[in-house]
Amino acid sequence: MELFLNRISDGLSNGATYALIAMALVMIFKATTLINFAQGEFAMFGGFIVLVLATERGLPMWIAVVVGMLISAVLAAGIERTLIRPFDPADHLPLVIITLGLFLAINAIAGIVWRFDPRAFPELFPSGNALQWKTATLSWYTVGTVLTVLVVAGALTLLLNKTKVGLAFRAVSSNLESSELVGIKVGPTLQFGWAIAAAVGTLAVCVFVGTPIRQLEPNVMVTGLIFAVSAAALGGLDSLGGAIIGGLAIGLVQSIVVPYAGIPSELSLLAAVVVLMLVLVFKPSGLFGTPAVERV
Amino acid sequence: MATTPRFQFTQGTTSYKTYKLLGYALLVLVLLIVALAYNDTGSITLFDNDYKISVPRVTKAISFMIAILGLQVVAGFTGQLSLGQGFFFGTGAYISAWLVGDHNWPWFATLLVIVPACFLIGLLFGLPALRIRGLYLALVTLGLAAVFPSLILLDVLEPYTAGAAGKQAKSALVPPSWLPLDGIIDGLHSLPLVGDFFGDGEGMSSKEEQRVWTFFLMVVLALVCFKMVSNLIKSRPGRAIRAIRDNETSAAVNGISLSYYKTMSFGVASALGGVGGMVYVAELGIASSGDFTQLLSILFIVGMVVGGVGTLSGAVIGGLVIAFVPDWASSTQNFPGVPERWLQGPTGGLILGILLIVLTFVLPGGIIAGVRQIKAKFVRVLPARPELLATAGVGASTMSPLTDEAVVDAIDDPTTSSES
Amino acid sequence: MSDSSAPAAPSGAPVTSGSSSGELVLDVKGLKGGYGQIQVLHGLDFHVADGEIVVILGANGAGKTTTLRAVSGMIGRSGSVKLRGKEISSAKAPDLVHQGVAHVPQGRGTLPELSVEDNLRVGAYIRNDKEIDADIERWFDVYPVLRERKNQRAGSLSGGEQQMLAVSRALMSRPTLLLLDEPSLGLAPIIVADLFDRFAEINKETGMTMLVVEQNAQLALGIADRGYVIESGAIFTEGPADELINDDAIRKAYLGV
Repeated sequence: MELFLNRISDGLSNGATYALIAMALVMIFKATTLINFAQGEFAMFGGFIVLVLATERGLPMWIAVVVGMLISAVLAAGIERTLIRPFDPADHLPLVIITLGLFLAINAIAGIVWRFDPRAFPELFPSGNALQWKTATLSWYTVGTVLTVLVVAGALTLLLNKTKVGLAFRAVSSNLESSELVGIKVGPTLQFGWAIAAAVGTLAVCVFVGTPIRQLEPNVMVTGLIFAVSAAALGGLDSLGGAIIGGLAIGLVQSIVVPYAGIPSELSLLAAVVVLMLVLVFKPSGLFGTPAVERV
Repeated sequence: MATTPRFQFTQGTTSYKTYKLLGYALLVLVLLIVALAYNDTGSITLFDNDYKISVPRVTKAISFMIAILGLQVVAGFTGQLSLGQGFFFGTGAYISAWLVGDHNWPWFATLLVIVPACFLIGLLFGLPALRIRGLYLALVTLGLAAVFPSLILLDVLEPYTAGAAGKQAKSALVPPSWLPLDGIIDGLHSLPLVGDFFGDGEGMSSKEEQRVWTFFLMVVLALVCFKMVSNLIKSRPGRAIRAIRDNETSAAVNGISLSYYKTMSFGVASALGGVGGMVYVAELGIASSGDFTQLLSILFIVGMVVGGVGTLSGAVIGGLVIAFVPDWASSTQNFPGVPERWLQGPTGGLILGILLIVLTFVLPGGIIAGVRQIKAKFVRVLPARPELLATAGVGASTMSPLTDEAVVDAIDDPTTSSES
Repeated sequence: MSDSSAPAAPSGAPVTSGSSSGELVLDVKGLKGGYGQIQVLHGLDFHVADGEIVVILGANGAGKTTTLRAVSGMIGRSGSVKLRGKEISSAKAPDLVHQGVAHVPQGRGTLPELSVEDNLRVGAYIRNDKEIDADIERWFDVYPVLRERKNQRAGSLSGGEQQMLAVSRALMSRPTLLLLDEPSLGLAPIIVADLFDRFAEINKETGMTMLVVEQNAQLALGIADRGYVIESGAIFTEGPADELINDDAIRKAYLGV
């Protein structure tokens, strides 16, 4: 029983990271129906920036995180302006190629600058346990990560629903032409989406490696992206709430179903991919997404 | 463009046939040089870095070319973006390593198992692909590619895959005794001027002989694969899959069975991926799971795009690029203006990433598009029958066909002309 | 494709404007435009005076919608387009909203996932004043069904309701010129009749200048001051609405009489 509870705790904290990256993916997908293959690398790079700020510049941890998020937002905005905007949003192929190129390039840059040795990342949450019942523990880490997801989700929801730029973003996601006809400038609006997605991704990585059992290194998000994508698809690629549910679900599947079903842990990735495939085949709009209508 | 290129050939004429023959002869010459001039030729020296384009490296490039060729079939010609080609490459590698290493099969006999096995697995891949399109398909295939190493490392498969240590298959390809490789190489060595490139006059060691022989066999295998795909593309199924790529709905309403052709193209692509894997292991001698991660699948895509999507020569160029660029980048120790510390990092990945981005802006058709543009200034091939010009499908009735570059380009289109 | 089979325009009657100030809100000369290689418009001249409702009629494919899109900056075009005397032919669509143009596209262009109220709010995107909420209320008064559904997803509204929403949204930006692209398309006749009555009301009460593109000539001419008939990308005839309605050729071609 206690083991089960511990597993739930682990699953939630893993799931929280996937949920955050999934939210970043959903932001971009909502607006452009593009899946940013480099999302994980943006996030990883942001994580390194935070690490540098915290360890080499001596900034307090959470300040470093916020500054790192801002920096990655600015960088992503720059990338959108120079590499993404020149292309017609409807034509996916060149954009996919560009995001693949970014994937390779950013991963390589991180490897060149910071090498591949794993690095310890300062903890974001107090260590130790919030609750303890016999041998089952609920760590502050789990509490912290889940809270972070909820806070981010709340912040994004407020941003999208209560601000003008959020309204513009939702409008562009809904109908590009009509948005232009009411005076919304599509380019800067999308740029805003990329910036937010990058910031959220950076936070995700910080949360993910901000625990003694994990370290930061350039390939940290390479498989994580797959989990996040499965989570996003499961939840519905244009639903932020769905991304959270999807992320937590995938995290729980990974930590509960996999051991109990006797599947070796290396195959948890396979489980995530199978989930992704089943969702896309049987319910492409995911649990909470809006079904797409295909016009001929 | 009003200027006529320097050379203009009409298909079917003798001059055209001579032109093609010269082209083939040139190709054979290049292959011979690459294979036999193993000592000093083909080494690039840039800023004090010496990088040898050795025969084993070229053979590795050939394995990649075949894999990218498969990718061209499923993605370039049918329009299904698959990021999973590495999965089949690895599968072919492991199957052949196991058959050769554990059961002493001859290398080429393993194809009898690899081709059907990978084809069938590819068909299975193709089934969900019927319901999943575009980016989603890319994601799923990427996921499958990512999972490959974990599958290989499963304990239950350990007797076949030797787990993390990698499956060794040391059986090398030995040239037949009747082939006087020693004699050939010594003969070439005695040529004036170029002789020094070809060995040192003392014949080849058995290792060198094996490498050269492997190279030639794989070249033949590759040529067979390319020829088969070339025929496929020009045939009725080839037109069907290209129709699917261009507009699925139109293809479907024209009676083309989407499910048949889409799954078949996955099957063909996967089979080719497996063949590539066999070539890779035959050269390297060992199959290890770390070589077949999702990064490899992404590299294959890079190769396809850099070479030129939907072209056969693009697969050749792409294979060369992804085989050599990362290799060369990691062995380069000195480069002006770049701190040495940086060069120890994965500069190959950086170069490829940047190349991909730059090409999307400058040459979306890949390097082959650039090559064709340059070639078009010098050579133009006209079809044998002038009536073909009217039906070239460009639809601009106000433009004069004979000088309209667009019309001629449509005929020179790599997927229809005989010179790919 | 230059297909010059458009008949020459007969000399139109002098334009008698029923408008208030006579100032030209929209003055278009030599408008050409199209999609990529295909030129659809071959040099159109038309104008809309302050407070007028002008209608552009024509059969399917004649170029009516393209004309509106060209004015609105949604497609490439050449020629002179002046808004209150100011040349706007090089402006892009979002900028024109700032200049006072509001375009209700064909098919209504609703933002389906957003609520009805959000659709209206986004119509006021370019505004920063304090009266946006008051304006939203005003439109709820004009179209009470929108108030009923104000929190519903706009995509769940019926065609007629979406058209009301689209028009209100466009007017939220307080434009000086309203462009309406085939408002009757896909709507039941009784809804359309009501819709056009409202347009006439809006014009009468606020003096809103309107340029309406329509296939339903009868209804459109019923509320318009003047009209133009386009055929194959060129103006075939023009004149005051009551003259056009009584013109035999028009009646045969467009009214089926």
